[in-house]
Amino acid sequence: MSRVVGIDLGTTNSLVAYVKDGVPHVIRDRSGDGLVPSIVSVAEKGTIHVGREAQRRLLTDAERTVYSVKRFMGKGAEEVRGEARHLPFRISGDAGPGGVVRIGLGDREFTPPEISALILRELKHRAEAFFAAEGDIDPDVDRAVITVPAYFNDAQRTATRDAGRIAGLEVLRIINEPTAASLAYGLDKRHTGLIAVYDLGGGTFDISILRVEDGVFQVLSTNGDTHLGGDDIDVLLMDRVLQDVGADLGRPGTGAEQAPPLRTPEAVQEIRKAVIQTKWDLSELDEAEIRVGQYRKRITRSEFESMIRPLVDRTLAPCRQALADAGLAAAQVDEVVLVGGSTRIPLVRRAVAELFGRTPHSELNPDEVVALGAAVQADILISGSREMLLLDVTPLSLGIETMGGVMSKIIMRNSTIPATGSEMFTSGVDNQTAVDIHVLQGERELVGDNRSLARFKLRGIPPMPAGMPRVQVQFQIDANGILSVSARELRTEVEQTIEVKPSYGLTDEEVERMLLDSFEHAEADFEARLLIEARNEAETVIQATEKSLRAPAFSEIDKAELAPGEREKIESVLSGLKLVLNATDRETIQKWTTALNDATRHLAEVMMNRSVSAALSGKNVNEV
Amino acid sequence: MSSPATLQVCRECGGGAPVDVHFCPQCSKILTLGRHGDYFAFLGLPRKLGIDAEDLEQRFRGLSRQFHPDYFYNATPAERRASLERSSYLNDAYRTLKQPMTRIEYLLQVEGLAPTSPQEASRQVPPALLEEVFALNEELDEIRDLRAGGAPPEIWKSRLERARGPIETKRVAHEAKLQELSARWDALVDSGASVGDRRAANEALEALRDRFLERNYITNLLAGIERELSQ
Repeated sequence: MSRVVGIDLGTTNSLVAYVKDGVPHVIRDRSGDGLVPSIVSVAEKGTIHVGREAQRRLLTDAERTVYSVKRFMGKGAEEVRGEARHLPFRISGDAGPGGVVRIGLGDREFTPPEISALILRELKHRAEAFFAAEGDIDPDVDRAVITVPAYFNDAQRTATRDAGRIAGLEVLRIINEPTAASLAYGLDKRHTGLIAVYDLGGGTFDISILRVEDGVFQVLSTNGDTHLGGDDIDVLLMDRVLQDVGADLGRPGTGAEQAPPLRTPEAVQEIRKAVIQTKWDLSELDEAEIRVGQYRKRITRSEFESMIRPLVDRTLAPCRQALADAGLAAAQVDEVVLVGGSTRIPLVRRAVAELFGRTPHSELNPDEVVALGAAVQADILISGSREMLLLDVTPLSLGIETMGGVMSKIIMRNSTIPATGSEMFTSGVDNQTAVDIHVLQGERELVGDNRSLARFKLRGIPPMPAGMPRVQVQFQIDANGILSVSARELRTEVEQTIEVKPSYGLTDEEVERMLLDSFEHAEADFEARLLIEARNEAETVIQATEKSLRAPAFSEIDKAELAPGEREKIESVLSGLKLVLNATDRETIQKWTTALNDATRHLAEVMMNRSVSAALSGKNVNEV
Repeated sequence: MSSPATLQVCRECGGGAPVDVHFCPQCSKILTLGRHGDYFAFLGLPRKLGIDAEDLEQRFRGLSRQFHPDYFYNATPAERRASLERSSYLNDAYRTLKQPMTRIEYLLQVEGLAPTSPQEASRQVPPALLEEVFALNEELDEIRDLRAGGAPPEIWKSRLERARGPIETKRVAHEAKLQELSARWDALVDSGASVGDRRAANEALEALRDRFLERNYITNLLAGIERELSQ
């Protein structure tokens, strides 16, 4: 029997977890690391790196590396124009409304679900390697529960499900992150009562209010902001650094002219890495330093807090709205649970404590609790255990466009799912056989202020005088929060055909093609894959080393900063690794790769320091 | 033996079942949502407006545990479909019966007294409210003129607040009256008169409907004032 897992597909990091003997566990790599950075990098030869290796490549090959792709899931090309400001990768899209976002890495283009699929596949492999190492006869992982922010709309959920399918996973269920967290939390607590889950992650914010009773986790209301998280804090700090060194943060010039060195994507990523470290430090210390190359900037926690205060305040209005929708006062909430890495920030904790009038829970690891909950849900679905039940809601109202560009709501927000709603349509002229229907999601009055989900054409209405047909259109939101539509003419009982054109997203055929395209599909042999990975890793290190040895500044560095014999040592390990590169013994390749990594560590530090300080002082790297 | 109209048919074994059961008495499979009772019957409740909140929650949780799609993941496609249909219907029923006002609206609908569409219902001013609506509209016009003339927000906002007072009082009075009428309906149900004495039943329902439509009109007026205040 193949295995099922729970996956937290995060903006910054992703995790995979499974249930063993009723207890959920995060699956870790050999070094004990459970987090897979949600980063994908495409090397020049087309090799795809995911996770830590891709994260390293942000500093050496930023333009071929993508992070925070979750922000683009289910979005239209014209919606994300403003987003490109601080990202190293190219974003384009099909022209016109409804155009799908495309991310350019080298000479290849990917849709956001394809990038997410690469991350999911990495998690799948991690889990399979783990189960194989456990001695499982059938370690294949082909089914998963995947989490999404509670405030994700239909298009974003559908894009996530597509990503799962492209990765070769049957998506058992899409569940909401705060709800998943409450499952993991409720597991060992056996508490009943009202729980608020405050989830501030890398890119998204959610608040959910739940009632837990008799093992039923019933969401009463949810709210949030799918564009608010730790990423925004990083950008604030990055802007501060760039202000100091006298330039704004941006993509390199697109014309023929050479981009100024400061704006090289690698330098920007070096700054990003540094400010993230500073942000982490400030959760522990009263004062920390931003260090990028020679640049130093001290920042106190109170300075930091006044910088991020407006962002933290933006989480409070959704909290109040969720309470109002649940018909509760803040004081009625029994417990508050913190989820997401950004809730480690002391200011966030204080703001939450103040709003709810109680100290929030933080004993569970905020990075892991969502994946654990997803694993619990996967286990419920597969095992048939009826101990617990999750009842979630739809975060946004669903409706259709009516006369005058106004949205008429059919299913209200915070309705428990699955939910249905129906609407009657008729014809406007004699013998009309088709009606156009525009489906929307959102809370605003006017169509243009809400999110367009799809346009339907109802066909096959029997010819009748105007106003005579009675076409009942039924909207069904399933337990994943995903919409489907059916229609029937009531006088004739004729079932209508519906052509669905999702406003932003992939058609079934496109998903199917991507699935077939994926190299994964043909590749059955797990060991072969590991060997390829080991070779790729070795090639990366060889290339980086050769590049360093060829750099104009190398001879100067060799003289001034390297120890006697250091260069010779590097050269000999390098040729050794090249010799074993085509061996079929993975461990030998890995051994030599590690040796070359060790031999060049000092050189890499020296070079990185030089290039960053050069970048920050405005000189071209090659002039150093 | 019940008449065929009160039966639904199990798609799994072809056996018959009363409309208000959820699982086939013969083969114990979940029944597709074919012929079914109204929200009250579905939840096993009499058609009364007084509903104990905690009792409703318990019924909802209990039935959720029987129907939810999570528990039918490995079942046949027909059972999965039935689980989705029953869960959706349960959720809709729960949401409708939870709030006293949507509960009244639903009762009027199943008793055949609802206006054909909610838009239709809200378009005309209920006769009992003509005076208030007239006064309020005059006041709103004056306030808009004030605002257009550049009057400071404190001035026109306090006038709006004052204008809201009597309408708010009306709303509270109407909701109290609706509660009283609801109790009257429930008494008719208890005595069997809601079915046995259609004239008494209709009288009670019509009184409920009139107050209910007025109350909706009042809440729309209040929402309009809210919108003006947020300008």
